[in-house]
Amino acid sequence: MKTETEYKILCEHISKEFIQKGSQRVRVLDDISLNVKQNEFVVILGPGQSGKSTLLRIIAGLEIPTSGRATLDGREVSGPGPDRGLVFQSYMLFPWKTVIGNVELGPKLRGIGKKERREIAQHYIELVGLTGFEKHYPHQLSGGMKQRVGIARAYANNPKVMLLDEPFGQLDAQTRYFMEKETARIWETEKRTVLFVTNNIDEAIFLGDRIISLHGKLPGRMHQVYDVHLPRPREHTDMEFLKLRHDITEASELTL
Amino acid sequence: MAYEEVKIKTPLLLRVLPVASILAFFGAWQLIISLGIIPTTMLASPSQVISIFIEKLSEPNPDGAVLWVHAWTSIQEAFTGYLLALLIGIPLGLLMGWFSVAEGLARPIFEIIRPIPPIAWIPLTIFWFGIGISGKVFIIWLGGIVPCVINSFAGVRMTNPTLIQMARTYGATDWQIFTKLCIPSALPMVFGALQIALAYCWTTLVAAELLAADTGLGYLITMGRRLAMPDLVVLGMIMVGLTGAVIGVVIDWVEKRLLAGIRR
Amino acid sequence: MNTIANEVQVQVRERSPLSIWRVLKNRWFLHAVSMIAFFAIWDYVAINRFLGSALARPYEVSLQLADMMVNPIAGKGLFGHIWASTQRILIGFAIGAVLATPLGLLMALNRYINAVVKPVFDLIKPMPPIAWISIAILWFGIGEPSKVFIIVIGTFVPCLLNAYNGVRLIEPQLYDVVRMLGGNRRDEILHVCFPAAFPAIFAGLQISLSAAWTCVLAAELVSARSGLGFITLLGMTLSRPALIVGGMVVIAIVAWLTTLLVTGLEKVLCPWKRELQTA
Repeated sequence: MKTETEYKILCEHISKEFIQKGSQRVRVLDDISLNVKQNEFVVILGPGQSGKSTLLRIIAGLEIPTSGRATLDGREVSGPGPDRGLVFQSYMLFPWKTVIGNVELGPKLRGIGKKERREIAQHYIELVGLTGFEKHYPHQLSGGMKQRVGIARAYANNPKVMLLDEPFGQLDAQTRYFMEKETARIWETEKRTVLFVTNNIDEAIFLGDRIISLHGKLPGRMHQVYDVHLPRPREHTDMEFLKLRHDITEASELTL
Repeated sequence: MAYEEVKIKTPLLLRVLPVASILAFFGAWQLIISLGIIPTTMLASPSQVISIFIEKLSEPNPDGAVLWVHAWTSIQEAFTGYLLALLIGIPLGLLMGWFSVAEGLARPIFEIIRPIPPIAWIPLTIFWFGIGISGKVFIIWLGGIVPCVINSFAGVRMTNPTLIQMARTYGATDWQIFTKLCIPSALPMVFGALQIALAYCWTTLVAAELLAADTGLGYLITMGRRLAMPDLVVLGMIMVGLTGAVIGVVIDWVEKRLLAGIRR
Repeated sequence: MNTIANEVQVQVRERSPLSIWRVLKNRWFLHAVSMIAFFAIWDYVAINRFLGSALARPYEVSLQLADMMVNPIAGKGLFGHIWASTQRILIGFAIGAVLATPLGLLMALNRYINAVVKPVFDLIKPMPPIAWISIAILWFGIGEPSKVFIIVIGTFVPCLLNAYNGVRLIEPQLYDVVRMLGGNRRDEILHVCFPAAFPAIFAGLQISLSAAWTCVLAAELVSARSGLGFITLLGMTLSRPALIVGGMVVIAIVAWLTTLLVTGLEKVLCPWKRELQTA
């Protein structure tokens, strides 16, 4: 049994309630416990409205759990910070900054000097494959490119963990496949601990070392944990891949 | 910001401050007159304004009519100009948005008229029509027509092109697409114009009355200045603001009733 | 076989032969017809005196304008009057914008300041700035300060509202981004509020500018000895319709130029903003 500090991320009995207007209490998460090891790629899988984004935001420090706690490297998460890189579903790039301006914002806020942060930003822009687009504005980029900027921006702070909240939800199918491959490539190049939220079973199996699936309806509850032992790079049409896909589909309420 | 716990109760201070602020405002206003910091020739205190308000409810002097008559004249003029602006401006804007012939003909004239603030027309209008009602209605109409045309035009231009293509595949004629698709599509923008045009019309009315009238709230304000009666001036100002606000609320209510169910 | 070359050829052949119908529907032709008709009708009405002697022919107006550029009226040449009006606008606009914009930002950022200022502001907001003319004259007399005061009031409301709403309507997740990158509250304001609200603030400035034009004209019509509004008023009192219309033409041109300038400025400063043409 691993001790607490050997897990990178640990969530213990997290529950979250929101109070909506009219003092109505909505329970979004119910007793979630999970752990993530160093450099592991863990996928949280669940249909819409299952609270998975909220779980990610709790780990990011943007929400406070009603009960239970989340820890990073043994220390409790108490607020947002650059040690966790968050990639948003709707990109959330600053439209008034160029690509390189967006990526180097994190280092800039932490007081890193101009020359050094330029180099850092340039390095990560190359990592995500956007060399040559440094001076472009977000509105000139396609959805996939914008999300790559988002990934580079999160990486630029050299975070301990990367949190991705349904990052490819707004992309079309072709771009999505491409971005999944890119994500796998980027992760292999610069390994980090990753917590990836999605509602797409194919995506989960393609990317994850471990898949944690949540129940379909609110409040989100732990359903099943799947270990994915397929070797990388993975093929969507592999027999093992399809078998796992079949198992997950049967067990969950997600439809293909 | 987003990561704080959602608080249900607003702190007591936040609920008290607005009320305290308003009270302090009126209190300070009353005090600077009562204490003589500002002479009564320059400004009237709230109590003086209230007393002349009560007086004007029945007393036609010194400006020639009771308060109600002034307000009603202003409202009449504003509304006539406003309705005319709507009746002419909205169809014109809608047609311009769809039919290139209409746009080609009307656009140059519109672009010439548009930069001229309606107030600039006042001397010319007085020259043509004199001080009567028709001149004022003309200026108000000019003031209100611009936002009507612009918004209606933009509303039609914003019609979803996919819907237009779909209508064409059904063999709809230009006119049919216009009446059955473009106009309903443009309704939210048109209703937006209603409020804006009203604000323009109301301000233009006040300006017109300030300069050339013998009844109306604007005239009341001017008379107050000429007779060195700041209480009359302030009364006029407050009535102008109040009436404008009330009409705005009425339009808003009409809009909500008519647009109920249509998603903006 | 459908190659790109074939497609291009097909497109060229599709263009209909030059017909009278196409000419009539051409946009620029219609514009030209419209303009000519406009001036023709104007001239016709003026000559036949349908409005009495109250309308000047376009020719007379242009003569008057040319004359104004050389000979002074009421002590100033044409450009002197233009500058008089513009000067009042610039001063009033600057004061109004400088006062209103920070206040609007503060109100959006701090709930307590909002609670104190907004109720009073909502009371004053419905009163059109022009309604303040009389009280301004009572306070400041008929000189320059009363006019500038009206312009300040006219620019104050739109600037404040736009700054206020510009901050209020910022996507809340953008603040999350700054926090996740290691920023604090100060960084939130500096790196999110200001840039994100900037297009709205700029729009407020544009609205204020046209409001300022209306205000300055109104103020000049009431009591002035110089300026464009004064010129048109002079035309009215001296029964010189050419002067009235001439004044209006100059007002239109100057207003149009200012709008052009500000729109151009916006394209330079906010290249990311998408345009939507509304009133």
